[in-house]
Amino acid sequence: MSEIKNPSGFTRRDALRLGLAGLLPAGLMDVLRLRSEAGTTTQKRPTSCILIWMDGGPSHYETFDPKPDAPSEIRGKFDTIATKTPGVHFSKPMKRLASISDKFAVIRSIRHDQGNHGAGNHYMMTGAPPRIPVGCGAFVSFHPSLGSVTAHERGVQGGLPAYFSLPSMTRSGGPNFLGARFAPFVVSDDVNSRNFRVRDVSLPPGLTDPRFASRRDLRKHVDHFKRFADEVTADPAVSLDTYYQQGYDLMSSQPAQAAFRVESEPDKVRDRYGRTSFGQRCLMARRLVEAGVPFVTLNEGGWDHHVGLFDAFDKRMGAFEASIATLIEDLEERGMLDTTMVIALGEFGRTPKINKDAGRDHWSNAMSVLFAGCKTPGGLVVGATDSRGYSAKDRILSPENFAATVYTKLGIDPAKILFTPSGRPTYVVSDPTPIKELMG
Amino acid sequence: MNVRSATVGWLLALSAVVTPAFAADVTFERDIQPILTRAGCNAGACHGKARGQNGFALSLFGFDSAFDHDAIVREDRGRRVFPAAPDESLLLLKAAARVPHGGGPRLPKESAGYATLRQWIIAGMPHTPASAPRLLRIAVEPSEKTVKPSDSFPLRVTAFYSDGSRENVTHFAGFNSSESTVVAVDPNGVVLAGKIPGEAAISARFQGLFASCGVTIPLPSATGKSPEWQFTETNFIDRLAAQKWRKLGFVPSRRADDATFLRRAYVDVIGRVPTLDEARAFLSDKSPNKREKLIDHLLAQPEYADYWANKWADLLRPNPYRVGIKAVFNLDGWIRDSFRRDMPYDEFVRTIVTAKGGTFDRGPATIFRDRREPEEIAPMVSQLFLGIRLECAKCHHHPFESWGQEQFYEFAAFFAKVGRKGTGLSPPISGSQEFVFAGKSGTVKHPISGKALEPKPLFGSVKTSEESTDPRESLARWMTAPENAYFANVMANRVWVDLMGRGIVEPIDDLRATNPPSNGPLLDALGADFRASGFKIKSLIKTIMMSSVYGLDSEPNSRNISDTRDFSRHYRQRLRAEVIIDAIGDITEIPNSFNATAPGTRATGIWTHRTPSVSLDTFGRPDPNQDPPCERTSDTSVVQALHLMNAPDLQKKLTSDEGRVARLAKSKQSPGEIVEELYLIAYGRLPTPDEQRFGLSLFADGKADRRAAIEDLLWALLNTPEFVFKN
Repeated sequence: MSEIKNPSGFTRRDALRLGLAGLLPAGLMDVLRLRSEAGTTTQKRPTSCILIWMDGGPSHYETFDPKPDAPSEIRGKFDTIATKTPGVHFSKPMKRLASISDKFAVIRSIRHDQGNHGAGNHYMMTGAPPRIPVGCGAFVSFHPSLGSVTAHERGVQGGLPAYFSLPSMTRSGGPNFLGARFAPFVVSDDVNSRNFRVRDVSLPPGLTDPRFASRRDLRKHVDHFKRFADEVTADPAVSLDTYYQQGYDLMSSQPAQAAFRVESEPDKVRDRYGRTSFGQRCLMARRLVEAGVPFVTLNEGGWDHHVGLFDAFDKRMGAFEASIATLIEDLEERGMLDTTMVIALGEFGRTPKINKDAGRDHWSNAMSVLFAGCKTPGGLVVGATDSRGYSAKDRILSPENFAATVYTKLGIDPAKILFTPSGRPTYVVSDPTPIKELMG
Repeated sequence: MNVRSATVGWLLALSAVVTPAFAADVTFERDIQPILTRAGCNAGACHGKARGQNGFALSLFGFDSAFDHDAIVREDRGRRVFPAAPDESLLLLKAAARVPHGGGPRLPKESAGYATLRQWIIAGMPHTPASAPRLLRIAVEPSEKTVKPSDSFPLRVTAFYSDGSRENVTHFAGFNSSESTVVAVDPNGVVLAGKIPGEAAISARFQGLFASCGVTIPLPSATGKSPEWQFTETNFIDRLAAQKWRKLGFVPSRRADDATFLRRAYVDVIGRVPTLDEARAFLSDKSPNKREKLIDHLLAQPEYADYWANKWADLLRPNPYRVGIKAVFNLDGWIRDSFRRDMPYDEFVRTIVTAKGGTFDRGPATIFRDRREPEEIAPMVSQLFLGIRLECAKCHHHPFESWGQEQFYEFAAFFAKVGRKGTGLSPPISGSQEFVFAGKSGTVKHPISGKALEPKPLFGSVKTSEESTDPRESLARWMTAPENAYFANVMANRVWVDLMGRGIVEPIDDLRATNPPSNGPLLDALGADFRASGFKIKSLIKTIMMSSVYGLDSEPNSRNISDTRDFSRHYRQRLRAEVIIDAIGDITEIPNSFNATAPGTRATGIWTHRTPSVSLDTFGRPDPNQDPPCERTSDTSVVQALHLMNAPDLQKKLTSDEGRVARLAKSKQSPGEIVEELYLIAYGRLPTPDEQRFGLSLFADGKADRRAAIEDLLWALLNTPEFVFKN
């Protein structure tokens, strides 16, 4: 491999100055263009991403890729419905989203080779396949997650963490070698609860600000624990320092405290998002993005429908997809959709044949991904699966392409090389080609 | 690396090495499958994936010969092979890309592989006769090598057959590096060391068997002053660890001081920090064997049982909302009792594997209430007690493991006859009792062939017992037999992780050729020692704690700073959720109280993770809502930092009139004595003179509120890493 020094210093202006523009891959030019747009020098707000992770792997058949002409054991119970986009049909549960299909794109042709949860989560959440075989129950990290790389590359001002995960971290949503500073800030408290507050970000009852300030000062004086500064030692005490600093920043951050006050939203808005935990998390995600957070993950479990898929969709999908639709509409109404991605996906799709328990099993040969915002063309369907939904057939795309698209839209160069503490060079994404149709 | 050119390179190599055999000699299993594997036909990305490619499916890496033979010879109306016109066989047309082939040319017409395939077709596609020599094992040479950065050397893979013959199969083998950025390997088995010192295991795979070569790139010799080697080898652990350090060019850290050892030992053995008196007693003890005395003392404490049972409860205890509260409570009680009675580990496991009786009075029966199918209990047993992960083999042969689908179901068949009577599950209450017994009927069938399978261990053989008809008895005997090194090794590794912060193998219950331990001889010796002790867990703990390795300081020196897996320094660990919460209760003298537990129950005594506790959740106990519950996290997080700073509960404990702070404030103790007490309870050590001076200054101002000063100092100490970590 050739020596690449300081790849981050390479800018669009450099490329133009050196006359390299014509030699660079199209993807990289997109990156340079978008990064200059995402940079703080322009008036526009920087881009953000709200990633709705449907943990377990939602069925592509029952969401965005129905197969009405397939035999009934593949087709399933639901009819299809027309969408606002002529010629495009979704599965019936996706009612509200169908009515606003002009506001987002659907990718039907991402596929990969990791058929269990631990591995599939890792691949989609980081853009890198797991390095060793990974089982279903696994929580593994071989590569920094989308959110952690975003936090690393974009940072954030005003004491807000750059990467939030609600109500928990996804399996592979961690920072890996980037280190603790870039782990997600997890808000596990239920946003839908009447007395919701983000735990422990404000002083406990009975403690005043000056008293806290003096405690903080005292802490600094009594802390004589030796730190091992060299990163290769992976000293957890160094990570903890980072967390204390982040904690202090968060406690004193006005924008953060304001963003957390979801109760300040009018009832009408809260109702519109749906009075469910997920609906209110969507609202919280919007508030965080408004406050300047570049990456928010909503980790929504329960999409591993080996059993009783149709009943489960009947019960849950109505409210769920309506909340996503509201989120997209609300962002658009506030003029934020142009700078905010909304993505919904899981680790893979589901098997074509409905199993004996009225469920579908893991299937990584096909999946559907909802992708909105940041100039993503609305009403677009990228790629297709075969007539029975077995496999992506047209415009086959990889998790790498997906990750590269997200990074590019966030103004992050997916071809950038990051260095691990031991000096090992690692690409942000091994194939940095974004999905060009989504680039607008 | 250009893959295509590598392939061509191999094809040339193949034609150079392999002399085409006589047509009559060419048989499927021995001659054809290695060619298909090496050409990548049955790889996971091609025909080896579950549904095959374009209707042609082979078993992954050729694990299922019968299936593959059938796919080539019979399926698709036999059009894949034409003995009458062999070159027109679809198999060869595609392989040579004479008709469009998604995989491109894999076996050009002039290659030796093509010629062999052709001869096999002419001969009528024979199987390798059952009487033919069987492949017994493969070996890689060299099996170990120490190299300099950027060095390169070739590997040689030899296959050994049952008739005593051997063959060089390097050109049919697949290669994989455990750390390809440290040491890479190309498709021809040529190893290339990277630029950074480190280690990697290169594994070679041939016909479902593995062998590996450990490659070490030691630290370059020191240029400046090297830290002194001050290390006393007290037992076999020290000897074997030091061997490895010398090989890598490491120099171990110095010995940890007494206070560090004290807190480490308390937390590791009994899951709590030392009290004031305990800390004082140890620190002032002048006897030369005080560390051994402390270890013995701790191992004799009743808290030992609750703490270690708490770890096993994580692994064994099902969700009460599924199997019922009483059944889970009963299992939890049994685990604790086993540790209280110091039950030998083999007996512990045997009792679980052969569990019988009612779920209200025989704890382990609850595990069988939860895991109801042989296919559910088998992978749990193999992973927990043997470190063998079978989950993947349930559906398919695994490219990186030796276990196949048939083996999975044969192993599961040990549980085929487990009978249940009484009332089954009715979540979320599941309140009734169920009885588990050794039944007379029940089989496990192969999911594809439908054949009922006889119980068979993963390797070796079982001795059937005459006095019992329960196949689980034979299984337990096989698991705990001296020949089965997995059994002792995985437990040795588990205990090692608890004490040392990192496994000799990681993940801790994943022992396989392609995931080698960082120090194989050490793991084997530890396992053997554990077995020789009669599987006494306390003996294993003491052996490890008595080693000088255990007693090392965590601070690295210039010659071991990059050590993250060879234990030449101690690795810091955050206190476990239960330990840190109990410590805060002990230190503030305001005990925690938990739902559904007896008054005074400590966090380590909680019998289900469903017991609500924001603090325990914050510090990463397993999430009870996941099924099976997910692993606990040992990381720190900003949420934890905020919790220690601001949690209302902690503030209450500091300010309570019943607590230590109030007691000290009211007491006659001098500020100096108070400062000393706070350091001893929070850190297990005395304050340094500087710390003592600084502490006193907080009380110096006559107007200072004594109680507030104590509150603030204790808050500060609890918010430092010296409290949060085991150093």
